[in-house]
Parts: sequence; C-alpha cells; structure tokens
Amino acid sequence: MINRRDLLTRCGMGLGALALGELLAGEAQASRAVNPLAARQPHFAPRAKRVIHLFMNGGPSHLDTFDPKPALRRYAGQILPGDTPTTERPTGAVLDTPFKFRRHGSNGIEVSEIFPHVAKSIDDIAVIRSMHADVPNHEPSLLLMNCGDARQIRPSLGSWLVYGLGAENQNLPAFVSMCPGGYPIQETQNWQSGFLPGIFEGAYLDTQHEAVEKLIEHIRNGRISPGRQQAQLRLLSELNALQAGPAPDPALDSRIQSYELAFRMQTEAAEAFDVSREPQAVRDMYGPGVQARQILIARRLVERGVRFVQVWHGAGQPWDAHDDLEINHRNLAGQCDQAIGALLVDLKQRGLLEETLVIWGGEFGRTPTVELPKEGLNAGKVNGRDHNHYGFSMWMAGGGVRGGYVHGATDEFGFRAVENRVHVHDLHATILHLMGFDHTRLTYRHAGRDFRLTDVHGNVVNELLA
Amino acid sequence: MLDRSPMRTCRVKRRCAYWVIVGMTLAASMQFNRQAGAAEDATRYMSAEAAEFFERTVRPALAEHCYECHSGADDDLQSELRLDTLAGLARGGAAGPAVVPGNVDESLLVSAVRYEAFEMPPAGQLPTPIADNLAKWVAMLDDGFAAAAEQLPVGESAPVQSGPHWSFVRPQAVDPPPAPAGESVGEIDRFVRAALRNANLAPAAAATPRDLLRRLHYDLTGLPPTAAETAAFEADPSDSAYEREVDRLLAAPQFGERWARFWLDLARYADTRGYVFQESRDYPNAWKYRDWVVGAFSGDMPYDKFIVAQLAGDQLEDPAVAPASGFLTLGRRFLNNPHDIIDDRIDVVTRGLLGLTVACARCHDHKYDAIPTADYYSLYGVFASSAETAREDLPPALVDKPEPVTPVVFLRGNPGMPGPSVPRGFLTCLSTDGPRPFEHGSGRLELAQAIASPDNPLTARVWVNRVWAHLAGRGLAATPSDFGVRGEPPTHPELLDWLACRFIADGWSTKALIRRIVLSRTYRQSSAPADNGSAALAENVDPENRLLWHARRKRLDLEAFRDSVLAAAGSLDLTVGGPPVSIVDDDAPPRRSLYGFIERQNLPAFFRTFDFANPNTHTAARAETLSPHQALYMLNSPLAMQAACQLAARSEAALRDGQADDPSGAGAISARAGDASFNETQARVAAMFQFALGRAATDAEIAKAAEFIAEGRDPLEDSPPTRNPWNYGWGAFDPQSQHVDFHALPHWTGDAWQGGPALPDPALGWVTWRAGGGHPGTPDHAAVLRYAAPAGGPCRIAGRLAHPAEQGDGVRLRLVSSRGSVLGEWAVHHGETLISVPDATLSAGDELYFLVDCQGGDAYDSFELSVEITATDPSAAPRVDRFADGFHGPLPPPLDRWQQLAQVLLMSNEFMYVD
Repeated sequence: MINRRDLLTRCGMGLGALALGELLAGEAQASRAVNPLAARQPHFAPRAKRVIHLFMNGGPSHLDTFDPKPALRRYAGQILPGDTPTTERPTGAVLDTPFKFRRHGSNGIEVSEIFPHVAKSIDDIAVIRSMHADVPNHEPSLLLMNCGDARQIRPSLGSWLVYGLGAENQNLPAFVSMCPGGYPIQETQNWQSGFLPGIFEGAYLDTQHEAVEKLIEHIRNGRISPGRQQAQLRLLSELNALQAGPAPDPALDSRIQSYELAFRMQTEAAEAFDVSREPQAVRDMYGPGVQARQILIARRLVERGVRFVQVWHGAGQPWDAHDDLEINHRNLAGQCDQAIGALLVDLKQRGLLEETLVIWGGEFGRTPTVELPKEGLNAGKVNGRDHNHYGFSMWMAGGGVRGGYVHGATDEFGFRAVENRVHVHDLHATILHLMGFDHTRLTYRHAGRDFRLTDVHGNVVNELLA
Repeated sequence: MLDRSPMRTCRVKRRCAYWVIVGMTLAASMQFNRQAGAAEDATRYMSAEAAEFFERTVRPALAEHCYECHSGADDDLQSELRLDTLAGLARGGAAGPAVVPGNVDESLLVSAVRYEAFEMPPAGQLPTPIADNLAKWVAMLDDGFAAAAEQLPVGESAPVQSGPHWSFVRPQAVDPPPAPAGESVGEIDRFVRAALRNANLAPAAAATPRDLLRRLHYDLTGLPPTAAETAAFEADPSDSAYEREVDRLLAAPQFGERWARFWLDLARYADTRGYVFQESRDYPNAWKYRDWVVGAFSGDMPYDKFIVAQLAGDQLEDPAVAPASGFLTLGRRFLNNPHDIIDDRIDVVTRGLLGLTVACARCHDHKYDAIPTADYYSLYGVFASSAETAREDLPPALVDKPEPVTPVVFLRGNPGMPGPSVPRGFLTCLSTDGPRPFEHGSGRLELAQAIASPDNPLTARVWVNRVWAHLAGRGLAATPSDFGVRGEPPTHPELLDWLACRFIADGWSTKALIRRIVLSRTYRQSSAPADNGSAALAENVDPENRLLWHARRKRLDLEAFRDSVLAAAGSLDLTVGGPPVSIVDDDAPPRRSLYGFIERQNLPAFFRTFDFANPNTHTAARAETLSPHQALYMLNSPLAMQAACQLAARSEAALRDGQADDPSGAGAISARAGDASFNETQARVAAMFQFALGRAATDAEIAKAAEFIAEGRDPLEDSPPTRNPWNYGWGAFDPQSQHVDFHALPHWTGDAWQGGPALPDPALGWVTWRAGGGHPGTPDHAAVLRYAAPAGGPCRIAGRLAHPAEQGDGVRLRLVSSRGSVLGEWAVHHGETLISVPDATLSAGDELYFLVDCQGGDAYDSFELSVEITATDPSAAPRVDRFADGFHGPLPPPLDRWQQLAQVLLMSNEFMYVD
C-alpha cells in the first residue's frame, strides 16, 4: 500500500493532476472516503452528459421569436375574442409582432428574423411551443424553472445533476452559473443546492469581467506558491481530522472539499475562462460582446467536462419587455443570436453536440395583448407585452433531442398552451431522462422524506427524444 | 421540520398573483365578513373529542402529506378529491367516498395510506402511526359526519378548523412538568426533558467548559473568548462562575452590537436606498438608527417600549428615541412608489413583530391565515396617514399628517381600482372584541400599542422564539417570521408559551430572557449526542434534533467570522458606534463587521459569499452555504493574508516577550506554551493555537505543525509563479560582461516608481516607470524593467517602443537576458518601433532586462513601452505576461512558514464552527 507521503514524493509537484479529495480520503479522512464529486453512472445510458442552459431571464416573447401567430395581425388593435387570461398587469388589445418570420431547415420551421443564426441550426433544434408554468411573476417562475418549486428552498436542476452524476473534471466547479453585471433576480437561489450538500451549489461568475482575477474574486495569490498551498490543505485536513468527533458531519466534510475545489480552480480556471486562447476564426464565429464571450466560455467549460453551465443574459431581467418590446427584443437577440448559432455549429463540429444538451428559454413568455400604460411600470408606453405563464416557447438542441421538430402548440393567439402541453415539471423530467435518470428515482432523503426535482409531478415528453 | 408541500405554496403565490375580486358587491361584503378563512365548525359534524383529535392530529397530517394534490379547486386537484375541507372529506372523490363514518375498512382514505386500495401518497408510504391515527379518527365518526357533505359547500381551500389557530390564542403559562426525582434542573429543562422522555430519548452530556464558554461568547457577543478567559473558566467551571460570565457578557457593549445585528436583519437595514434614478443613493444617517438599536439592546430597553419607539417614536416626546424611526423609513425606495414603500413597511412590521405574512393580503384575502384584504388596507391607512420628514443628522421620521387618510381597498392590489373604504385599524384576527378603528391621528401609536401589548398573542411569542433561535440554532417554531397556519407549529408549545409569559412578567427584558435560556442545562449540553445508545435511536426518530437531544453546531456568520479573524490577528478595533466604514476594501479598517457599509443595491460579493442577510427585505434567518468562493476568500484574500501575517507576528512576539505583551493574550503562553520542555518551534506553535483557537494545542497538533514548519523548501516558495513577474528599477548595461546591474526604484507615488518624492531626484534624476512607459535618467541611470520568468520554455517577446517628442535625441531599448546575452536593440526618436524576439528560451527564474537609456541627453525622453511575453510551448500551460496589465506598486513579500501555518489555523473547521 502506498502511503500519502510516498505518493507525494513520487508525484512531485504533479499533485494537481490527482484529485486531492481522493488522496485525503485515503488517509486523513479515513472513513469518510466518498468523494461526492466522483463521476457516477446514472440510472440508464444517458443521451447527454452535459448541459448548457441559455437563460433568457425576464421572459422572452414566444410570439416574437419561435411561435408565429398570424392571427395577431388580423386582430391587431382589437380586444381578444373570448376572455383575456389574467396576468401580472392589465393588458388591452392584441399586439402584432413587429418581426417577420421565415421558414428554415428541412421541415420549414418558422423562426423570427431576430434569430437568423439560431435558425440556421433549426434542424438540430426541437422547439417546444406548448410550455406552461404556474404564475405570471418572475420570482416564483424563476425558482420553478430552476428548482422545480416556486417558493421553498429546493435544489436547482444543476445541483441535482451534479449530485446524480458527479463531476467529469475535478479541477473546475461542476456547476457554473454566469451572469454579466450582477445577479438575475432571486439571485443565488437560482443555482442553490438547497438541502443538498453545499458542494453541489452553482459557482457564480460575473462575466462582465475578462481577467480571471476579476471573474473569480480571490482566484490569484502572489504570496504563496501552489506547492505550499497544497501543503496547507494537507495540514488543514490533518488538523480537522484530529479535532473531528466520532460522528461524521457532512457540513465539515463539504468544507474541506470546497477548499480543495478552490485550490484546483486557481490553476484550471484561469485557462478555461481565457477565451483569448481560442483561434481568431473561432472568436470571429461567436462575434463581439459579452454574450459571445460567455457563450464561448460555456463551450470551453463543457469541453473540459463541466456538467452544467448556466448562461444568464444579464443582471436583473433584461428580456422583461413591458414596453418597447421591438427595440428590446431586437437588441437582446442581436447580442446573443450569432453566438448561440456559433455555439451549436461549433459543438457539432467538435462532436460535442451529441452529448451536450443545449436549452434556450426564459422563465415564461409574454402576452399577445398589449400591456396597458401604468405609471412607474412601463413608462406609459403601449408597446410591450406582459408576462405569460399560460403558454410560451423553449427550445433544446443536441444531447439526444429530436432536431427539426416542433412540439405542441399554443392557441390561435399564442396565449395558452393547448396542444401537447409541457409543464416545467415535464421539461425537468425530460432533461433528467436525457441525462440518464428516471426523474422519480433521482431522490435525496431530507427531513425524513425522499425529495426529487419534480416532486410528485412530471412526465417525460417522449416525442422530444431523438 | 415538517415537509410543507411545494404545491401548496405554489398555490399561495398563484392566488397572490391573480386572485380577482370582481365587482363591488364582493368587495363591499368584505367589510362585513372580515373572518376570511373563517372556521367551519367541525363540532357540528362530529363529537367534540373527534373534532379535537381531528384538529390536533388528522388535519396536520393531511396538510403535510396530502394537500399538495388534494386541496384547492385548481386544475391540479387529483381525482376530484379534496381533503382540505370537511365537505371534501365527506363527499370523497372520483373513486368514491374517502371516509365512511365509523367504518375503517370501507374508508379509502385509510386503505390508500396503508397502500392497500391505492398507494398514497405516491412519494412513499406514511409511517404506521399516521395511518393508525387516520383510522382512529374514522372510527370516532358517526352518521352526523355525512351531513357535512350536504350542508357544507366544498368551498374554497379555507382550512377546516374547530378553533382559532394556536398562535392567535394568548399564551398560557402552564407549570413545567415535574423533574424526575434526583434531577435538579430549571423550568426550561423540565419542558425539554419531558418531551425527550416521551420519545424515549436522553439529553446529551454537558458541554466541556471550553466549548460552553466559546458558545456563550459567540452567542452573546459574536466574538470568541480569549485564551485567558478560557483558561480561567476551565480552572473554575462552576455554576456560579458560569453565571458570572453570563452577567459579564450581558453587560458588555459587544452584547448590544451582536444582538443589534440580529434585529437589523429583521429591519432590512442598509446604508443606501436601493435602486434610484437621480437622487442620492445614500441614507447618510442610517447609522444613527443602527447605533440606537445597539444602545437599546445594551441598555436592555424593554421590548414593548423598543417596539413603540420604532413605530411611533415621534409621539413619545422623548428625544432619545428620535433615531428609532429608521426601522420604518430606511427600507428600499422602490423608485418612490408610495404603495410599495407602504407595503414594505407593513411587511417589516407584521412579519418582523407579529410573525404574520400580512403583505400576502395586498391583492386578496390571505389564503391560509385569517387576514382579509380589508385588514391590509386598515394598516395601509395608518401608513398613508403618516408623512415622512427629513431631519438634520437623523434618519427620516414619520409624523402624522394633519388630516388622516381613510383607506380604500385596492382591488387586486391595484391603486387604479379603488374599492370600498375601510377604517384604519388593527388586524381583525388579533382584536379580541372585534375590529376597533384607530381614532387618534394616523393610528400609528395605537398600532404600536396593539402590537406591544401583553394581550397580543403573537408579539412576545415571536420575539422569544427569535431569541431562542439565535441561541439554539433553530426556533422552537422553525419559521420565525411565519406563525400563521402554514408556519411550523412549535416543537415545544408549552415551553414557548411559558417563556413568552415569563418574558412579559420580567418587564419584556430581553437580557433576562437570554439569561434564563443560557443558564438552562438544555443550552449547556454538548453538541455531541449522548454516548449511550440513545443517540442511535434519536438519529432515527428525530434526525433534525427538534427535541433538543443535543446542542446544535453552528457555523459562524459573516460578522462573527470576520471579527474572529481580526481578533485572532490581534487587530480588532472594538470602538462602539459611528458612521459606517467599508469592510471589503483591501485596506479596510479592522472595525467590527457590524459597522460595515451596506450597499443595498450592489451588495459586495464578500457579503453574498458569506450569506449576509439580503437588505432588500426582512430576513427571518440567514442561509448557511458552503462554496468554493468562501474557500478562495480564506486562501487568497487580502484579509486572510494580513491576518495570517499578524497572527504569526503575534505568536512570535508572545514567545519573545512572554506573557506581558498583550493583555488579551495574557494566558497565551500559559500551560503548554510555557512548557519548559518545549523547544522554540513547539512553544510558538502552542502560542499560535492559543491566539487562533483559544486553547492549548495537543501533542499531535504540535507535532503536525512543527513538521509543517520544518518541511523541505518548495523551490517556488520565495517566488510563487502567481507572483507578479515585473519589477521597476534603474541601472546600466556593462558591454564587457553583457550584464545589467539592476536596482529597484525606491519610491512609489501611487501611480509611478521613481527615485524619490520629487522629480528629478537628487541622486537618480529623472528615472521613472509608470503604467505603459517611463523616462530614463542620465546614461548610467537607464530605466530598467525586469521580468523574472515564472516558468521555463520557449517564448515570444513582442511589443512597441515609442518616443513621442520631437525634441531631444530619442531613446534606446536593449533587451538583455540574465544569462548574459543581448536579445535585441531598438532605438527611436519622435516615432515608434516594434519589438520582436520570436524565439527566446527561458528557464524558470531567468531574468529579462528591458533597459531604456537616453542615448546621450536625458531631456524630452518620455517613452511609451508595451511588452508581451507569450509562452509558445504547446504542451505547457499557456501563459501571457504583459507589462501594462501587471503594472503594480509595492508588493508584500511571500508568506513565510509561520504565516502559512497561521493561515491554516484560520481556515480550520474548529475556527469556523461553534460547538
């Protein structure tokens, strides 16, 4: 048997290549030998191994992006026939889309003119036009989309997946959440680990910054060598073990793991987040701007085995177009369309798309009716749409998803999902299925009960599977 | 904790969002029907005994395990079966009657939970006792129950109740259960131990004196005890010594600081307004409110007076309470939307003081608690009748408007849809004789008095529970800001009531309450479970330690963590009060974290990383997360570096000076550290443990630490590769030896390196380096930029040298390696030239000198320089070093071994957790 000291001597300074957690588990941690981030097999053969979730926070309008409704033009300016479902704010007459739709791909799927690059990959994309959620408010809808529950402290999808699958790369956080300029609303709850061990929580990065030391605070330390930091962590682990009581404490175990992760992040992160290392042609393909940079970072991360990468469009709720929808959506789509299109092409060229699930969408969609002017809320303008959880669109690509396919439909005006409705719980069940999990069996015992992402809900949408 | 069903809470939100009251009729009727969520009277359909059993046992079980699919009238209702109303239970669902009165076998409700007829709930079979209780209740029913099916509407999801909710009934001081013979314990312990005995569980042993003292210090002051204090208490851990320590800490100013911060979490305190358009972002005098709260806790202001001062201090004619209005006025500004500001005030008052989520009733009657929308607007009227006034040197105050406003209900919460008017007044559910309109001015003083009243069933309970939660790590009721129907019922209801009654009887004294709790055996028990077999059972039946069979291990919160780091470093400044200071800057002053500037809109990452309370809204309890960012902070932050250096220096000084160096470390060289058999290393390790962890190190720890100190050197220890490779100096090139003699420039101006404070420097002349360029001196005082290669391998050196001035004779750059070779030479005058060495090879530690000289005269010789050194070995770690990016002032030296060791102690679990 090799003792730790031998191992260190033999490996010299190459210790970083080994999982320090496993090393320590071999000796100092003795009985607590399970590395929670060790890669694990799911319930059945997965279609996807990694996820990139492009989160259009604020709620992009499906009617102006992926769900064209000619009736909007016919009824523009008129009151909606039938009832107008209640949303967050009062809405009035039907508002037509300012954008043109064109058919793309071998199945002629219609996509709005503001997403021309995404449209080019439509044959790899399954558009879900029948999403629905529970309430027309950001906070609960964000939590529902991320954590499967609108209000209570529950683990996020990314945390569940890392809990279930472990990490492919022990030197980077397994779950990364990027948002330029600050947090989306609900902040860190969107990537919380809830009652799962803290090691499964998403690591947040403010991607408005480029330098790695600004991207990840305190990532660099010029006053101590990596070798000595390793020696510090070894001693830390030994001293912790000397003090630990007889009963294992998961919080204390997680804490040493979080130190080890932090140590490894220092070396790997700098390289992974530096998009300047990409050839110029690749950078050109993604285009300029912060969206392109963070989406390119997302590709670099999944390429390195990061399990779940969430890319938020920006702080707050940028897609929340209560007014000036045309300007808002054209701008925002303009910021990310080229990069998303490039991502799909790039992943495909690298053979990564097959096992990388790309998800696009917000927390809900928007109303076909115009939001009525209200002081302090929409600048008195009458050119935006309110939140709409009754029906909206999302799309998925790669990772075992059936490309060139449209699933479900909203009503004539796009207000409610009516055909093949897909609730957020169903989406979660489907994502877990693609990752190799039976969503009813991926559970965690907490407070005397087995919890799961989909609670008591959710059905896998088989039509979405390739 | 009970598993509250996710779907139920979803529903609440949903209704919040679009519960619509259409038409005036309904809205108007609210004035007369203020008993929203009114009780169905269960005793009409079953015996009193059955009704009581139903309310106590059956309904909570249904709520916990069944409501998520079987309540409300929503689409999500499964099998048309509602279990949240009597009628629903009596009628049953698609599969037939759920309950056949008196007939357990025929009742699907029972067979389903026994996994016979159906398998309900699908997530997992319920424990047998729950199923047995359902069966027992069914057996108690008779045909009278069937009438409920006809006579009652299936109704909204108003909860079935036979009596008022527990928290709406005034607490009754029941006598504590008797202590078993031979057990001499206080009243609190008699409640706790009776519950443990009922569950066949035993309390843990008493905590060790050291653990207990540390726990007490953190709980009361947020600071660790010094080594000397610990040693003294270990020498005399008697009850009387403990009691003296309790009293001493309660009297310390740090007590007020610690408990003020808890209150500020509830008060969503910040030093700024949140998002604003154009006005100033700061609340310049917010800190006066913070200091007032500190003073109130330090002086043990009776809690009832504390409340009145904060809600209606303007009406007390006591200038000392003037800052207290900050409780209401220092919230987020919501772009000055008056409705949202009032909503925030209603929320902070009702959740904070009453544990009620009244803000839920803004748009619709509260779906679970008896809070009709009319009540919300009765409170709304109180605040709408109050005007905010700015004051010199104080936070804004609220004063009554000359003419109070009679509020109207806003339908759906929409001010554009005014409904019927309601009087200003208190919550119906807390008004024993029916609603009484407020009569004086805005009614704010009456509101304050109605809250701060011994007759209010919630106020004392809610505060007592919060105090318990801070001390015990979990409230007796686990949802400290929700005592409504959906909140967690208390684990020890009689104890909670008893504490609340004693609290009032003690004149609402928070200190007396805390004293009572910390003197209990329950508080003083060990965090390690009893070592007698009982623990295994306890782990099974009560994994969450609701019954208090051991103390709860707690992680330090942000303030306690940072303050402890500063205390270990010996730098903590204990000044009390004053304007806020930044605690996130690299050179932040070592004030207690309470005094940190709190920017509501852009809370710095440090606050978020360590789970600070979100200052946008009332925070009932802080999260306890673990993230690699916390670890990075401790590994690499300036605070961690500085504290490690100070702790190392302290341990050295203690060794040198013996015990006298520092009064707080008087015992630092006590016991083991002063052990004559120790060598110097061992003694210093021991001293360091005393400062960092307040205790003697064990032999094993000293051995590990000494081994760490003595380990072989890491070749990169003195020049970590992450260290900035650039240095700025002057020197001259010796053509004979092909070497450069490099001297670092001695003076840093804040943005440039030069020979001294003035230019030209008498000795070094004009030599200067700044970001992007510099200036050479006389020919033997060239400006020299030094690059120390952090890694070996091939590299490409590229850059640009520019000399903008027309005058003078230009400059020359020589690129020289420390291996004694000139890699290139470039000269320029009034123009620029590109620098390129495409194929240099360096070894780690090699130095490159970029020597710029004046080529004759040093007038007009300002130059611009960019340099980029790129590693070109495709198999090595990519690396680019740029002169411009890396430009820096003085760098602190690498940590020595002792400093490294000190940092480890600050990172240890023992440092971060309190047992």
